[in-house]
Amino acid sequence: MTVDASLIGKSTGKVRVVVERGPVAIFAAAVKDSSPIFRDPRAAEEAGLPAIPVPPTFPFVMEHWGRFPEIQPEPDGTEPFSPFARVIGPLLANGGMILHGEQEFEYKRPVLVGDVLVGEGVLADLYEKESNGRTMTFMVVETNWRDDRTGDPVVTSRFNLIHRA
Amino acid sequence: MSGAQLWYEDVAVGDEAPVKRQKLSRTDLVAYAGASGDFNPMHHDETLATAAGMPSVFGHGMLSMGILASAVTDWTGVGGLRRIKVRFSKQTWPGETLSTRVVATAKREEGVRRLVDLECVLANAEGQEKVVGQATVELPSRS
Repeated sequence: MTVDASLIGKSTGKVRVVVERGPVAIFAAAVKDSSPIFRDPRAAEEAGLPAIPVPPTFPFVMEHWGRFPEIQPEPDGTEPFSPFARVIGPLLANGGMILHGEQEFEYKRPVLVGDVLVGEGVLADLYEKESNGRTMTFMVVETNWRDDRTGDPVVTSRFNLIHRA
Repeated sequence: MSGAQLWYEDVAVGDEAPVKRQKLSRTDLVAYAGASGDFNPMHHDETLATAAGMPSVFGHGMLSMGILASAVTDWTGVGGLRRIKVRFSKQTWPGETLSTRVVATAKREEGVRRLVDLECVLANAEGQEKVVGQATVELPSRS
């Protein structure tokens, strides 16, 4: 199956999330980080930050915790594109497995408790490789998160998913 | 968390962060499932995992990345992290003791910014690498 490279560059839509104190503390405990900086605003202040920061991989779970229904951007009339439905679904229908291949976060500033961020996803790359007679399909979804108030970029995540036939 | 700020001048290429060591338990996987929303049963349901042919439940890749990233920020501070990128190499299993290895590989200046590049690895006690990657931090300078 040849992947449809014309899908590269398609937007996956926009979401708005709120970053809250409770989830950040729970998440820090879950990644075994006991630093008070993720729990106590006084520790954040001592570190020179204006609010409690989030652990480095927290952007991966921001939607789970903070994508509240009443704050979502209005649909802009374009058809929402889901790379998971359009690319991965059909591949999995023929078997194989999906693996999280790589993950990246690139920060312009720390994400902080109190932030309201708007994220827009894009299918950044899509390609195939043959390996030991099996087709591997690589899909990269890039999400750019901006400060809702200022529009400034805050963090970009790149999620590299592999389907192995 | 050491509490003391790391300065650009305090780091030399080859310096290593304090090692974080974590023995992984099934409870850890349950806690991460709840904290992340990743309820893939392979990570918490032993019955389903073994029925699927796995020896047991296994850890979320992002849990491994979270543990590794924590070793970076413990050493360099949270505010200075500019980039972290990892490749997921091997699954983690309850009962394994995972250790972090974070090494400064380069120091460089971009205008007024003082950057340190790091190699980051999370491995088990046998040295099997679970997550391998790089990070870049920006550190304050005394100059």
